[in-house]
Amino acid sequence: MTRAARVALALLLSVFTACAFTPLRLPPSPSLHLSELADEGDPIRQASLELVLDGLAADEMGELRRAQGLYARALQVDSGNPYAYLALARHHVAGGDSDRALEHLARARDLLDAYEEMSPRVEVHLVGLRGAALRLEGRTAEAEPLLARAADVAPTVWRDGTLDASELR
Amino acid sequence: MLTLAFLAGFGLAGVVADLDQVVRDRFDGTRFRVPSRVYSAPTILYPGLDWKLVDLRGALARLGYRESARTGSLPPGQYHWDARRVHVHLRAFEHPSRPEPARDVVLRLSGRNIASISALPSGRELGAVLLEPEPLGAYYGPAREQRELVALDEVPRHLIDAVLAVEDQRFESHPGIDLRRIAGAMLANLRAGSIRQGGSTLTQQLVKNFFLTPERTFRRKLHEAAMALIVEARYDKGEILEAYLNEIYLGQRGATAIHGFGEAAHLYFGKPAAQLTVAESGLLAAIIQSPNGISPYRDPERATRRRNLVLDLMYEQGRIDAVRHDQARDEPLRLASVTPDPGDARYFLDLLRRQMAESYAAEDLTQEGLRIYSTLDRRLQALAAKSLQEGIEAIERRIPALAKAPPERRLQGCLLAMRPQTGELLALVGGRDYRVSQFDRCTQARRQSGSVFKPFVFIAALEPAGGVPTITLASRLDDAPLAVETPSGLWRPRNYDGEFHDVVSVREALERSFNVATARLAQQVGVKRVADVARRLGIESPLPLVPSLALGTAEIAPIELARAYATIASGGVRPTLQAVEDLVDRDGHVVDRRRLEFERVLDPGTAYLATSLLEGVADHGTAAGIRAGGLRGPVGAKTGTTDEERDLWFVGFTPDLVAVVWIGFDEPRSLGVPSSVGALPIWRRFVEGATGGVVRGRFPKPPLVERVAINPMTGARALAGCPEQRDEYFLRGTLPDEICPSGGGESSEFLRWLRTRL
Repeated sequence: MTRAARVALALLLSVFTACAFTPLRLPPSPSLHLSELADEGDPIRQASLELVLDGLAADEMGELRRAQGLYARALQVDSGNPYAYLALARHHVAGGDSDRALEHLARARDLLDAYEEMSPRVEVHLVGLRGAALRLEGRTAEAEPLLARAADVAPTVWRDGTLDASELR
Repeated sequence: MLTLAFLAGFGLAGVVADLDQVVRDRFDGTRFRVPSRVYSAPTILYPGLDWKLVDLRGALARLGYRESARTGSLPPGQYHWDARRVHVHLRAFEHPSRPEPARDVVLRLSGRNIASISALPSGRELGAVLLEPEPLGAYYGPAREQRELVALDEVPRHLIDAVLAVEDQRFESHPGIDLRRIAGAMLANLRAGSIRQGGSTLTQQLVKNFFLTPERTFRRKLHEAAMALIVEARYDKGEILEAYLNEIYLGQRGATAIHGFGEAAHLYFGKPAAQLTVAESGLLAAIIQSPNGISPYRDPERATRRRNLVLDLMYEQGRIDAVRHDQARDEPLRLASVTPDPGDARYFLDLLRRQMAESYAAEDLTQEGLRIYSTLDRRLQALAAKSLQEGIEAIERRIPALAKAPPERRLQGCLLAMRPQTGELLALVGGRDYRVSQFDRCTQARRQSGSVFKPFVFIAALEPAGGVPTITLASRLDDAPLAVETPSGLWRPRNYDGEFHDVVSVREALERSFNVATARLAQQVGVKRVADVARRLGIESPLPLVPSLALGTAEIAPIELARAYATIASGGVRPTLQAVEDLVDRDGHVVDRRRLEFERVLDPGTAYLATSLLEGVADHGTAAGIRAGGLRGPVGAKTGTTDEERDLWFVGFTPDLVAVVWIGFDEPRSLGVPSSVGALPIWRRFVEGATGGVVRGRFPKPPLVERVAINPMTGARALAGCPEQRDEYFLRGTLPDEICPSGGGESSEFLRWLRTRL
């Protein structure tokens, strides 16, 4: 083996080794999963978020009443938790109650704005859920651009125009 | 003769048919009238929670948890507490939002906080666990019977064995009457020369309780025997036993009769019947004979002797082995502490009853065994009752003449608290003593609101209705004498201190509760708009459109004020008042769930400006006394004292809590003290207890509100070089045009201010 070939092989090996031992950093998902926030905020917010996640799990299993009760518990612990309102909005969209969904969405947006927790990753859910709620009301012309915008930002989640409990969890 | 026999037989058949009908009507219909029960909201435990603040020990005691001196494995319903950790075996319970399995958990304590919660034996960290809701009360029918129904397969076998051993050992084999037992009883009674023993089977006891009177006549005994035979012929042993277990009288809780083993297990041992031990089952079976005479609370030694007799019978009849018998006999009598009287929640129960009357007949509430899961916070409720009671007594100590009135004319008050974001009612005390007066002053009384109405005037002026607000927080208001023509003559408002203050800032006007400046502002905005704001925020009482509306001459219920201030505290979103979360029928089905409802009625910017103004009142205005005990954190508040000090109000809120206090007489007359002396200390005591003296969180500033330095003397925007500066909040687009220091000349307001001081 020529010297140049040995150098090239050594370089190749070192690149390979570096790749093997460096953790792969994927770009963050364009939409937020609430479980990512589990360790954030003060203990009250964390406990409240835990109950929201339990509620989403209940929603996933089709235990709708239980899910709603868990969101109420989450608000009992922290009545200003915007993610509880977000989960409630998703719950009501899934249940076909657009009025309540829109109320909760507005509340979630106000609190996210006020607490400066708004980010594009959570906003995509606000936009998509608003679109889904408006579609329920038959306001297709208003709904479609919102759903299209959500699908552009987070295609894996919003391509089908819905947000499953597991996708928010 | 044949005819006579035929007629007798025919008559007997008729009687039997009648009795059969009676039996079937009761057994096939609703067997038991079960009062509906009301429960508090569950206590949620989580890492970071202040366990002293939520009175964890008290909650465990009220729920019948028993403290164990030993460490190691604990059965459900017991806990061990040491300096650094609490090991508690939480009981399983059904709750519509989150049915909880029994959980063995360890709470690690760090000072006043729960540092972590872990499950045993896995050690898995838990984010939150729930304690079961606490019973608040029940809606009884005229008989005041309380029972919790149990199914036969829910009760432990040893409970059934204990009952059968002492009450009816041949229950499985007799046809409803037990001739051997009757003969034995007769013999024993003959020997004793008096009636010492009864020969009734369980079926006969059940028939007597269900259908007959307790009189001791031959005719009644005959009916009892006949009906017992009919019951046994029509229904199987399991059904009869289950009915007996739910029907039998087992003691008293105050005026309420306790029926059935489900309820008795809670009364005596603070646990469900399913969790009774052999010894506990023996005790309950022992007291059937005379629940009050052998009451373990009244005479524990006698109760223990009788319990041991039952255990001996169980052993002799082969129902338990020697080991279980000996263990049970050795078990000391451990009774649940007597559940505190939830009397302080009775105004709340009445409110629920009135609300439920819209959907449920009164009989449904007393008979259908609904479980009503309310929003009431048991700890805050007790705290509210105590704060109000002590506060009123303090006023009476200050003015002894007030204490001399007869009970029905004494000083009254009310306190209610709600969660602003969700509208959940957390505590409600409608008067100083429910036994004296059931009139709920929080929800049923309407009283002049005085200065607690003033924030609605300021909100109407700050709200950019039609694009531009009437004032900003930098504006200056005129507090010079005012006279307004009204149909009843000239109206001339005066300040509480009897002075006029020329020109004052918006903050000063509200912080010092100046009547004249507020009345002038209302004139500027228009009384109609003020009333419109009050309505939107949640006031439902009639609001006469007169100039004095601005100063709170309208009569309003405290609960309306709570909702209106909650709307301010939650950033302009009006919550729907919620007192019930879930309604569950006797089969455990959720029949109604109240949903969280709210509506935006005020833009978040204006709501924030109003909150900021009211924070000023709490920090350095008429409500500043709330800080006297060291209360820290964000609070907005307003005092209110009506003419001649007839009504004292205090409304205050934190980001998570709104509380209203009203003090006065049912027939209005002067108290002789202002709100800051009478109502404020009650609010302070309550909120200090509720928060532990530190209010968490903050009122979030919406993005469309800007914080800008101004010159407080002129309201001009302050730049570098301006001699006096203070930060103030503005809706975007409403910043002052004037600049300080100005390039040429001062504003006319500043000159006017200067003139007043030269």
